[in-house]
Amino acid sequence: MTDNHPVTRRAVLGTLGALGVAAAGGGFVAGAPGKAHAQALGQNESVQDAMKRLFGDKPIKDGAAIIKLDLPLIAENGAVVPISVSVDSPMTATSYVKHIYVVADKNRIPIVTRVTLAPEAGRAFMGANIRLGETGDVRAIVEQSDGTLLQVKREVKVTVGGCGG
Amino acid sequence: MSDIGKVRLRIPSSIRPGDVVQVRSLVIHPMERIERDAQGKIVQKNYNYINKVIVTYLGKTVATFDTTQSVAENPFFSFTFKATDPGQLKVQFLDTTGGRYEGTVEIKFS
Amino acid sequence: MKMRCASARPAFSWAALVALSAACAGPVADVPDYTSLPKWTSRAIPEARGDFQALPDGKRAAVRYRGWTTRDFNFRTYAYADPRAEPPIQRVTMPAGVRGDPQKGRVLFLNRAKGPCTGCHLIPGDDVWPAGSVGPDQSIIGDRKLPDQYLYQLIWDPRVVFPNTSMPPWGTIGGLSSEEIVHLVAYLQTLKGPVPPEKDPDRNPFTRRKPVGFGDNLDPTNNPAVLLTDGPEALWTARGPMAKACADCHEGGVARAMRGVATRYPKFVKAYGRVMSVEDLLAVHAPETTGRPLPAESTDNLTLTILVKRASNGLPVNIDTSSVEARAALARGKATFYKRVGERNHTCVDCHTPEKGANKFLGGRLLGDVTDGLTKHFPLWRTDRGEVWGMRKRFQWCMTPLGMNMLAADSIEYAELELYLTTFDNGKPLSVPGIRH
Repeated sequence: MTDNHPVTRRAVLGTLGALGVAAAGGGFVAGAPGKAHAQALGQNESVQDAMKRLFGDKPIKDGAAIIKLDLPLIAENGAVVPISVSVDSPMTATSYVKHIYVVADKNRIPIVTRVTLAPEAGRAFMGANIRLGETGDVRAIVEQSDGTLLQVKREVKVTVGGCGG
Repeated sequence: MSDIGKVRLRIPSSIRPGDVVQVRSLVIHPMERIERDAQGKIVQKNYNYINKVIVTYLGKTVATFDTTQSVAENPFFSFTFKATDPGQLKVQFLDTTGGRYEGTVEIKFS
Repeated sequence: MKMRCASARPAFSWAALVALSAACAGPVADVPDYTSLPKWTSRAIPEARGDFQALPDGKRAAVRYRGWTTRDFNFRTYAYADPRAEPPIQRVTMPAGVRGDPQKGRVLFLNRAKGPCTGCHLIPGDDVWPAGSVGPDQSIIGDRKLPDQYLYQLIWDPRVVFPNTSMPPWGTIGGLSSEEIVHLVAYLQTLKGPVPPEKDPDRNPFTRRKPVGFGDNLDPTNNPAVLLTDGPEALWTARGPMAKACADCHEGGVARAMRGVATRYPKFVKAYGRVMSVEDLLAVHAPETTGRPLPAESTDNLTLTILVKRASNGLPVNIDTSSVEARAALARGKATFYKRVGERNHTCVDCHTPEKGANKFLGGRLLGDVTDGLTKHFPLWRTDRGEVWGMRKRFQWCMTPLGMNMLAADSIEYAELELYLTTFDNGKPLSVPGIRH
């Protein structure tokens, strides 16, 4: 990998205008960017409530055949836990992964992120560093362009130090 | 923290037309966490965290991340795009206080 | 490692030969001498000086970093002038008439406010996460049918039985009460085989997978410390109150001007009569030459240290271990490494040498091995703190579990301890900044 000339600009925010406020099934509204919104993605709630809010009663199938979830089995600390999700998908205009959700069951804010992809992404892939409050399951939920939902999950043990930290 | 918003993007050193390119990004940001008072009640305030990441290539959005306080401080994000033509890849990070930070990189073929 | 021996006179005698070989015996074979050390006034930020403030009730509260305990630990420290000895060994008798409760004992065993005992010792239970492997597995200790009195003494003060043990003397130091130890003994006696089959190999520290680390420490999209210290070298070129900048004397940019320099630190600096790391030197050199203060543990000091050390990335550490001053300092530094300190009565050896705790788990944390070389990636990014730590803050942090007051970040004691640790990095390439949990 090569470094590329980062342009570090701290722009004063003007009006951002409509930046794709998307309404997903289940009544979720992406908060207006730039301001915490009452309907923000992240809420203090149980994972059951979060899943209900995101997906309602829609069936979620087992996605083990097509979803590759990369997570450490033991996280050295809960502050920075690397995750990546890769989905086997043609990513064509008619068949692509529309969303990848990451949910941490034991977090006070269980919804970590929702990634929205266009076919131009080329591959259904995301990576991020997440926070985990404690040992628990982490899920990757995939929504395909035809609305199908699939999920894989795995437990991550969060290490507690012996040395006061 | 005057370093808030410092961004770095990394792409492979050699890209050919048609490659699906993986991009790594890091942005300096506190991603403030919920605070609780001595009684355990959540402190009501506008927490400063990145809640949206927008990736555009040749002016078209290829990926967005809607993010919460469960994303790590100084967040790392990785994503892909299909490199069809030379041009600009831009990543914008927006936070809940109105901050907008961005990094760009010119995609060239070699 | 070069050893320069005094040149021999042509007139030989066996005595001279023996004296010569003693002089060439190696850098840390000497007896530590504390008599001719300069007094050092700390140039660190206020929270890093090891200071105290008086409380109205006559006690003291420690002035430390935000979020660190302010407790004044009344136990031996690393200070060369500290006259205190280890807590004397106590031989005790288990009280009669106190009924041990195994359930209370198990709760105590897991209690993080106490040991926890599970920091070093494994016991059965799906709720045991994460137990350590520094001490022996206690899962079937009941099968050994050891006398209660023996177990009681062992927990109260194991030095009676094992003179060089790593285990703290819990009763002697007041960490566990007599009644608490009675409950622990009752609990241990219930631990009999057969041990249930292990459902999860990670639960057991003897079979747990080792941590994989945080990836490429020099990747600016992986290590925030790299991103934060990249870009224009403002600190290097900024003019201080005396209208001078580092760049004025050290030409060609920091990477060129400082190439190779950090490989020789820490080192004895004649002008100050003491061993100094890059951080220590910056704290005096910057104000002297540019007029700008750069106190130890300030962000600017750490940033500039990273810039200076990065200039030597890939080059092997090459510190002096053979001069008279280096050898004297190393003797003291090694003595510090072996010194029993704090409430827990630990030495660095207990956790960080392969003969004791290194490469074993302390709770969930794999303990580093000093012989691997632990200094060449400092300063580093601490992911769970979200900030850069230098070696001295890492030393100061160790005081928390040890129950010992910290010294000033730029103290001579820490500098000479760091010098000793750095000998294990000689020949190994620098890679700064590092990244750790």
